[in-house]
Amino acid sequence: MPSIIACFKWVVDEAYIRRGPSGDLDFSSVDYKISEYDRNAIEEAVRSKEALGGKAIAITVGVPQATKSLKDALSRGCDQAYFVADASFNNLESSQTAFILAEVISTRIEQYDLIICGEGSSDLYAQQVGPRLAEKLCIPCISFVQKFSIDKNQIVAERRVEEGVEVIAAPLPALVTVLPDINVPRIPGVKDTLMAGKKPTVTITKDELPPVGETLLLTVGLAASRMERSCEMFGTDAQEIARFVGSLRKRGVVG
Amino acid sequence: MAGVWIISENRERALELLNIGRQLAAKMGTHVSALLYQDREEVQGCISHGADEVMLLPPLSSDQSPDTYIPVIIEEAKKRDPDLILLPATARGKDMAARIAARLDVGLCSSCIALSFDDGSKSLVMERLAYGGVAVQKVICTARPAMASIPPRTFEKAVPDEGRQGQIRELPAPAPSAAKILERKVKERAAKDISEARAVVCVGRGIDKKEDLALARQLADVLGGEIGCTRPIAEEFHWLPEEVCIGLSGIQVKPDIYLGIGVSGQVQHVTGIRNARVIAAVNKDENAPIFKVADFGIIGDLYDVVPKLVNELKK
Repeated sequence: MPSIIACFKWVVDEAYIRRGPSGDLDFSSVDYKISEYDRNAIEEAVRSKEALGGKAIAITVGVPQATKSLKDALSRGCDQAYFVADASFNNLESSQTAFILAEVISTRIEQYDLIICGEGSSDLYAQQVGPRLAEKLCIPCISFVQKFSIDKNQIVAERRVEEGVEVIAAPLPALVTVLPDINVPRIPGVKDTLMAGKKPTVTITKDELPPVGETLLLTVGLAASRMERSCEMFGTDAQEIARFVGSLRKRGVVG
Repeated sequence: MAGVWIISENRERALELLNIGRQLAAKMGTHVSALLYQDREEVQGCISHGADEVMLLPPLSSDQSPDTYIPVIIEEAKKRDPDLILLPATARGKDMAARIAARLDVGLCSSCIALSFDDGSKSLVMERLAYGGVAVQKVICTARPAMASIPPRTFEKAVPDEGRQGQIRELPAPAPSAAKILERKVKERAAKDISEARAVVCVGRGIDKKEDLALARQLADVLGGEIGCTRPIAEEFHWLPEEVCIGLSGIQVKPDIYLGIGVSGQVQHVTGIRNARVIAAVNKDENAPIFKVADFGIIGDLYDVVPKLVNELKK
């Protein structure tokens, strides 16, 4: 029976980011959430476990405050959770996150068959941790998967590429990154949340890991993106509709 | 050694990368090398469009994916120490870029939308969108080579110069990969390609039922364009195929006119339309975020407004 790992990230909910007066970003009233794309990864791990038996393990790397996310992940059906925490883990870059995950997975988790990641995190959306993690662990990587099945010692996955779909088989253990339409994540009920509190969690601190390397991608600026548009508003009566279409014609975008 | 490398499996993307690669190489005082898979016929095309050298990889058997080439590319990069490696931010390109970056232990700017080389500091500053498109993040790679994946159509295709000369080098064949392609299903397009459409009518959650897509279709027809949709329409309701879903994790469009009907304007969606020449929207909620990023907006019920628009546009 397979042992399946779902990786997730606790991220800033971008809906709460305000634009400051000088085009800076105001994070003062932000809330946090499990990255949307990672909810699909968790859901797929849990569904696979429910179909095949075995267990679903959630793992995240983040600041100590992200401890809240563990209960969230466990209420979504994972059996146990690993949390790699340090106050300095607030701005990890993909290569560092992949390094930490690889370290924990290869030294703390006895055996695994499949690792599932979201297609990207909903904050920075670099889409690198999954493939980088597979490389660090030297296992096959199938990204942008819309459907998969596990059969004995291999995974058969449908990978969506620009021209269509590739059906790929790879020996286990392997890593997949899943597309957001692979499933609709469940909404945990009260019972799920209560049960989540009883499930085992393992917290690993930075001192227990080998030193994490310096960032390979240095952020030198972060500012509100600008979309300067005229924001001209129109009503719905005949005259207004004519004025609206007139405006489009004046811009030369309709015949 | 050194140089700007471009790696692309497809001709269109290669020509776009050659354009920006050529510009950067000129500023950096270096040359451009293009890695080509299999296709010998493209060699001269790459050279005339800006490559000083083509590195040709041998063909793969049909059950092998281009990521099989990664170890060969890594070996070559270690030997030749390029300054910069560019790939297209397509599904395969993004995956391959991250895996090459991991093996070389270097940084990678994913979905990079702008690159500028600063002559004074000799650093390459790259821009990308973050937080669903709310922010622009500027980054620098701290190790050699710098790497970026660039979304399709971010740059124009390079202009050919038939007189250009270049070198050809053959690279060794890779060992077969453990992952095997069992089948390739070429997409039977359920919809027209909206990434190249001149006009895009986008349907959002404001639409009540699938049959009402006919309204959007009428509007698209008078505008001479195609229909796209927001994520819930494709993903939750399955009223339109995933391939016309516009947004950060879907398609980025740049039509002359984008007209959203019943689209609220979540930031992830807006990221997919930021390069439209004109953005227009119809929504009954005057506080819908789409109006903040639109040139022209109509506050009203789409079921009332759209037929009126169709009539007016026919005049």
